[in-house]
Amino acid sequence: MSAAAAPAAAPLVDATLEPARITMGQSAELTITSSGSSNVPAALPQVNGLDFRVIGQSHRVEIVSGATLVSTAIMVRVTPRAAGIYTIPGITPQSQPLVLRVDPEDAPGKPSGPGNLNSAASHAEGIHMTADGSAYVRLVLPKHEAFVGESIPVEIEVGMRNGFVSSLNGLPTLNGADFTLNNLSRQPERIPKLIDGREFTLLTWHSVLAPIKPGKFSLSVESPLTVRVQTRPARESRLEDALGDPFLQNYFGVTVSKDITVTSAATELTVLPLPAEGRPPDFGGAVGSFKIADDLSSSTAAAGDPLTLRLHVTGAGNFDRVDSAMLDHLDAWKTYPPKSSFKASDPVGFRGEKIFEQPLIASQSGPQTIPALSFSYFDPSMRRYEVARSAPLAVAITPSAADQSAGPPAAGKTAGTAAPADGLRPDHVLSGAAQRSLVPPYLQARFIAAPTLLSLVIAGGWLGRRRSLVPRAPRRAAKAAGRVVQLLEAAAQAGKAAEFFSIARSALIGVEGPEGASEDTREIFDLADEANYSGHELTTTDYARWIEVVRRRILPEKGA
Amino acid sequence: MSRRAVTLILFLAAWHGGIAHSAEPGYSAAALYNQGNAYARAGKPGLAVLNYERAALLAPDDPDIAANLQYVQRAAHIAAELRAASNATAPSNAAAPANAAGAPKAATPAKTASSALAKIVTRAVTRASPVVMSWLGLTGLLLLGAVVATRRVSNLYPWTCRGAAALGIALLGWMAGQGAVLWPALHSAVVVTAGAPARVSPVPMGDPVFTLPEAEVVTLTAQHDEFLLVRTAAGRTGWVARSNVAPVIPRP
Repeated sequence: MSAAAAPAAAPLVDATLEPARITMGQSAELTITSSGSSNVPAALPQVNGLDFRVIGQSHRVEIVSGATLVSTAIMVRVTPRAAGIYTIPGITPQSQPLVLRVDPEDAPGKPSGPGNLNSAASHAEGIHMTADGSAYVRLVLPKHEAFVGESIPVEIEVGMRNGFVSSLNGLPTLNGADFTLNNLSRQPERIPKLIDGREFTLLTWHSVLAPIKPGKFSLSVESPLTVRVQTRPARESRLEDALGDPFLQNYFGVTVSKDITVTSAATELTVLPLPAEGRPPDFGGAVGSFKIADDLSSSTAAAGDPLTLRLHVTGAGNFDRVDSAMLDHLDAWKTYPPKSSFKASDPVGFRGEKIFEQPLIASQSGPQTIPALSFSYFDPSMRRYEVARSAPLAVAITPSAADQSAGPPAAGKTAGTAAPADGLRPDHVLSGAAQRSLVPPYLQARFIAAPTLLSLVIAGGWLGRRRSLVPRAPRRAAKAAGRVVQLLEAAAQAGKAAEFFSIARSALIGVEGPEGASEDTREIFDLADEANYSGHELTTTDYARWIEVVRRRILPEKGA
Repeated sequence: MSRRAVTLILFLAAWHGGIAHSAEPGYSAAALYNQGNAYARAGKPGLAVLNYERAALLAPDDPDIAANLQYVQRAAHIAAELRAASNATAPSNAAAPANAAGAPKAATPAKTASSALAKIVTRAVTRASPVVMSWLGLTGLLLLGAVVATRRVSNLYPWTCRGAAALGIALLGWMAGQGAVLWPALHSAVVVTAGAPARVSPVPMGDPVFTLPEAEVVTLTAQHDEFLLVRTAAGRTGWVARSNVAPVIPRP
């Protein structure tokens, strides 16, 4: 595209833009040519979204038919900051504007170029390099068949071309939820390497991959990076690549930063389930190759003193699943739950030693034997379960000092061995009977029983004496009288005079005899006969009076 | 006194003798004291203090036991205040050894008076051995019973009965006082190993919260498996392995 302005005799200023259509990430070149006596405008065009930078200038002198014609060309790099259609105004008022079309990166039909990172990948040494050759990620698996739970040491390698990759924006991640990837937080190894004659910096993470379910999987890793994308025309890029000096490239501002995610080539991995056949009952999920050994903190101890039984599990595998209950129960010993610690011998914890420590306390003295310990695991190389066993341990248990002091002393053992010179008062001569217990007799249950019995006897005598002094309450007679009065009231309410007097006579006979001791009693006896034979009727008032008479006669007098 | 009463007293005496004494080898204050001396000379202050404490239970009024107990504890670098707080059974009339070190700290008059009164009471109630005290207490109880029985039969000699009742009550109180003085010793123990670790829980794991010096007397407050919860005279508590402490009263 070109725009010429000016009449024939006037100075000529020409501007061209090539190419007129680019993709985001690329740049175009604006060439401003002036000829004749015209001056090149001092200021570059100002367009929002476009960066203009002078990258070169040339002069040309032509002699045509004896006339000298001088022309000057200024090369300006035009770099878009966003996709779109830009109009660059004319260099002079007479010039025509230029149009620059900037396509987004993923637009269909976009022109391919060196700045396109996601185009077809190049392969070298099994490396899945990005299209511009700035970076790659590689997953290195030592095997392509594993068992569920098995720890597989892997390497993740990120190659970054010097000068093209400005930063690593995160740790590599594994694609796929059926695996776990451990220990990636450590600092990676950093080494320089030449690939296809270009300098790369390799970052290598060592980690452990663990499949969690069986099946066939395609594994890959990806890593976020920031790269500097070339934005100049291809011909210049090739030139500067030939110079091979990224410093110069950056100095002239010919790249822009861009965040990308680089993905490794897929690696196939077949995960097999652990066989059910031959699985030991105490298998806890340990997969690898292990050996065990045990030891005791001391071969001699006193009863009651704690000892520590240690189980050492060494080898390679998934140590996070290595577990042991050690000794759940042991006769004549008090056992405690073990605790474990792990010492890795490599950065990823694939190899190392796991130590289980279990406190034990012997409750009996004498020679004792700690039985052999066992540990079950699955060996993926042998494709079968293995049971590792330790050796039994012998330990001599002596009586504790507390036990030695528990029994009574042997009488006469130390009698008469006085040695007053050592600051102690002299020994005593043994005399008197030995006692069965150190507890004072009056605090022993059997002795307390005697005074308790005696106290009960005394208390009983005291109560008996009090009862002999206090008049007996005629409670039984009072109860019987109450029942009689109730019967009398029931008969009175029913109007049965014969029954009323019969009850009264029976009650009074019990108190005063058949003859009666008082006038009222004898009158009641007469009325009873009369009511029995003649049907004597009484009023309510009469009933009440005779009830009161009977009550007075049969109730015991107070204070009697 | 009636024949029945005589029979009852004889029966109780025989019973009491059966409880207190036995034909089997048992404990005697002299033997325990001698054994404590032997341990002290053998350089085992913990076991020495343990035997002295046991001997003091049988003979709380023995000055030799108290003197040797204090001597051994001092030699084991047990602080004087801890010795005073822990030696519940040590009689207060023990003469201080010639090489006694450290003077008692100055105390307030009230504290001094109460301490002196406590010493007098302790000395009074520990004048008799627990066996004799048991007899006296039983006698006091019988006196009370006899008074009650006499008053039931007759009201004669009222002042004699009242005096007998007062004597019986005094004897019972004397016995109860001795029991109160000896009671803490029945629940105490002695550290028999050097630097016994006291832990925060009854498992042999973790760092100890403090260590107990050998020959220190501690109070037992609880037990769990192979551990005993002890409280020191300074008020600290911790779980100690059974093998490190020995109760004053041996436990099966």
